Amino acid sequence: MGFGDLKSPSGVKVLNDFLADRSYIEGYVPSQADVAVFDALSGAPSADLCHALRWYNHIKSYQKEKGSLPGVKKALGQYGPAGVEDTTSAGGDAAADEDDDDMDLFGSDEEDEETARIKEERLAAYNAKKSKKPALIAKSSILLDVKPWDDETDMAKLEECVRTIQMDGLLWGQSKLVPVGYGIKKLQIACVVEDDKVGTDILEEQITAFEDFVQSVDVAAFNKI
Amino acid sequence: MALRELSSLEKFLGLKKPNKYSTQGDRKVPVLQSNSAAGLVGLVTIATHLAQEAKRPDLLGKNAEERAVVQQWLEYRVARLDGCTKEDIKIILKDLNTYLEDKVYLAGNHISLADPLLYYGLHHIIVELAVQEKEKYLNVTRWFDHVQHYPGVRHHLPPVVVLRNRVYTSGHH
Repeated sequence: MGFGDLKSPSGVKVLNDFLADRSYIEGYVPSQADVAVFDALSGAPSADLCHALRWYNHIKSYQKEKGSLPGVKKALGQYGPAGVEDTTSAGGDAAADEDDDDMDLFGSDEEDEETARIKEERLAAYNAKKSKKPALIAKSSILLDVKPWDDETDMAKLEECVRTIQMDGLLWGQSKLVPVGYGIKKLQIACVVEDDKVGTDILEEQITAFEDFVQSVDVAAFNKI
Repeated sequence: MALRELSSLEKFLGLKKPNKYSTQGDRKVPVLQSNSAAGLVGLVTIATHLAQEAKRPDLLGKNAEERAVVQQWLEYRVARLDGCTKEDIKIILKDLNTYLEDKVYLAGNHISLADPLLYYGLHHIIVELAVQEKEKYLNVTRWFDHVQHYPGVRHHLPPVVVLRNRVYTSGHH
């Protein structure tokens, strides 16, 4: 990880290639990662390194908010493309990156870690932004298809069983019976859930627990409210 | 299409009460019923009005130049992008790619109304691009990926996957 020596042209070139298809060092919002790399540069990148220059000018416009950008400043070696030798002075990082040259064969594994980390950073940045607006509760409207074993299954009883499932953040809505063929009807039931409290997997588990009536459950539609 | 877009835009702007829209003409120009009898006609007009209603004038530009640039791209969306032919698409993508080379957002250093509107307009084009083409118009792809991940923008459109490891490393610069 790392960009090499950012004070040298070769390091800035690595940064340039890295930023060709990215707006920020990590994730999709400016964060401490960008601040860390920005501070490590000795000046604006030259005009031929257009991606680095674009990013530089953009981050420069956030100068006043530098301290309040989300994320945690890490050592420079933690950012950037995988497989690049880390030449920053932090001893621990250098030791950990010794394997980088050997890791080229397993480049895809590194990539997975990196993408997972980027995802986490992005989620953290997004959540930090979201947490500034605590009043909004994310809700979704889910339409579930509950399928019985055969046409002799008592659908009224099946619906009753499904509706007995009570959870914090779950509200059952309308339901209707939809014929599937051969006399079998599936129960289509709608519910409104709070994303943080209830997930479709929990709902599916609880519904399929009624083994006598329910053969399977599918999510027919899922809309954010 | 325009109606779904406007509904997504309302969500992005945080407007709590969705408006009622209708369309007119063959080209299905959106109309917003308002106090005046005729209503507000046109995607750009309605979008600008919504931004004002949501008390987000910053989305229209922070200074005179930015405001002009935002209007320029809104006009571009309606005049050149909507209803363009296959040949036009190449020219549009090339223009955008050159323009976005040194910019993170279309106008200034913050998101404006032009970004989501161009995103909605370009989605059907970008989603069809092959990996090689996405890399050819690297700046457009980068900007597109950025806007589609911006909190609150993407509602009715599926995300377009952008590969992080570039496959065709030659071909740009």
